Amino acid sequence: MAQRKCYGIDLLGLSDLDLPGKLIVLEGTDGVGRSTQIALLREWLEANGYAVASTGLKRSALAGKGLDLAQEGHTLGVITSNLFYATDFADRLEKTIVPALRAGFVVLTDRYIYSMIARAVVRGVDPAWIRDVFGFALIPDAVFYLTIDLPHLIPRLLSERSFDYWESGMDFLRHRDYYESYIDYQSLLLAEFDSMAKEFNFRRIDATQKIPKVFNAIKKDIEILVKDMKRMEFVQPAAAAAREPRKTGE
Amino acid sequence: MATLPNGQKLPGKLFVVEGIDGSGKSTQLDLLRKWLIGEGYCVAFSEWNSSPIVGETTRLGKKKKMLTPLTFSLIHAADFADRMERQMLPALKAGTVVLADRYIYTAFARDAARGLDRQWLKRLYSFAVRPTVAFYFDVPLDESLKRILAGRPALKYYEAGMDMHFSEDPYQSFEVFQGLILNEYKRIVEEEKLTVIDATLPLVEQQDLVREIASRHLKGVLRTEPSAWRSALTGEALYGRYIDEVLHKKES
Repeated sequence: MAQRKCYGIDLLGLSDLDLPGKLIVLEGTDGVGRSTQIALLREWLEANGYAVASTGLKRSALAGKGLDLAQEGHTLGVITSNLFYATDFADRLEKTIVPALRAGFVVLTDRYIYSMIARAVVRGVDPAWIRDVFGFALIPDAVFYLTIDLPHLIPRLLSERSFDYWESGMDFLRHRDYYESYIDYQSLLLAEFDSMAKEFNFRRIDATQKIPKVFNAIKKDIEILVKDMKRMEFVQPAAAAAREPRKTGE
Repeated sequence: MATLPNGQKLPGKLFVVEGIDGSGKSTQLDLLRKWLIGEGYCVAFSEWNSSPIVGETTRLGKKKKMLTPLTFSLIHAADFADRMERQMLPALKAGTVVLADRYIYTAFARDAARGLDRQWLKRLYSFAVRPTVAFYFDVPLDESLKRILAGRPALKYYEAGMDMHFSEDPYQSFEVFQGLILNEYKRIVEEEKLTVIDATLPLVEQQDLVREIASRHLKGVLRTEPSAWRSALTGEALYGRYIDEVLHKKES
């Protein structure tokens, strides 16, 4: 039986369950390239016959939309925000992550509890309190921490979109200017992530490298993690195509 | 005194009422509120589960029966946190009386009745201000059930504890659930030293006790210049939360 532990009090009785899947986390700051890597990993894992589920912050059926709406008004307080995120996380843990692990899936999650902790702590929340609140979280099989510095991060972010209110810490830093606020906030966040690396066993991946290099670095570790897992019978593309009726009328 | 978790004293006073459904706590709080306003105190009021920015999510979760004991607990904690951060704490810092209909003890009792770990719950709510007085309206289970169920009201799914599958019958489920909550309250009253009011006493006697206890803590509380409307109505003992809603709309 594949048993697991939680970081703190096991509120959901997860340590009694048989959870043969693998829980793999990608962490790192906003715009570091997590979602690209998750998409690549999913392609690769599924092509190799692994069943994959994926999840990420604010994707819960319960609280995702509510959290988006609450953030729009810019009136969300620090503690409220953390507990809202905890609700979102708990819903996904109970309804997505744990069922998928029971069924033997590889679960890829875009961020986990570490981003929430880092964001809370830089805003002055008691670091012990936020860890206790999220204590019901399962300890993952691997946490990949995509590292980057500000000179690499800024062009990457700005080529896709503009600075975001929350990602720039405008809710608590006293800047009127988005750029200055962003620099200060992300510097604080990166320092906080670094300080958490040892405690939570982060595997550091240098995300300033080109996308395929980053992917290969993560893939190498995951290959070892999943090598004994059940795989679906691999269907040869040619054989599959022959079995399926041809689509007409194109 | 209302005090922050770090021990810092706040100038305002926080009075909270607790008790199972049918204990009469909301009625007593409303009477206290009328009296305080009549005496010229500046009074803010906060009700359990009423945050405008969290409410939508709670409603969705209840309507679609999506809430587990853990998410039920967390979303109510978020609701409480929002009211604490934006409503109760600023008012307490300003020096007003804050009245809360249900407080963290409601969460301790309900969530523990749903099987969550008591220590974790205490930790979860450790950011809450310690109230000046927390009144607990003590009523036997039979009496509260009689008061609530007399009219055979339609019980809501989570209110009746239907999510715990004690019984398929909402009334039976409600009885079992209320019994468990009452047991938790008994423990909490001891541990947290709540001020117990015998909720089987006549309404007026209970209110006399509540006012007597509250009045010991009102020195230095912010007072308000009552509006003409308000003073006229208060003079006739016609001031409370319903008329307050109407007046608020008129004024804004």
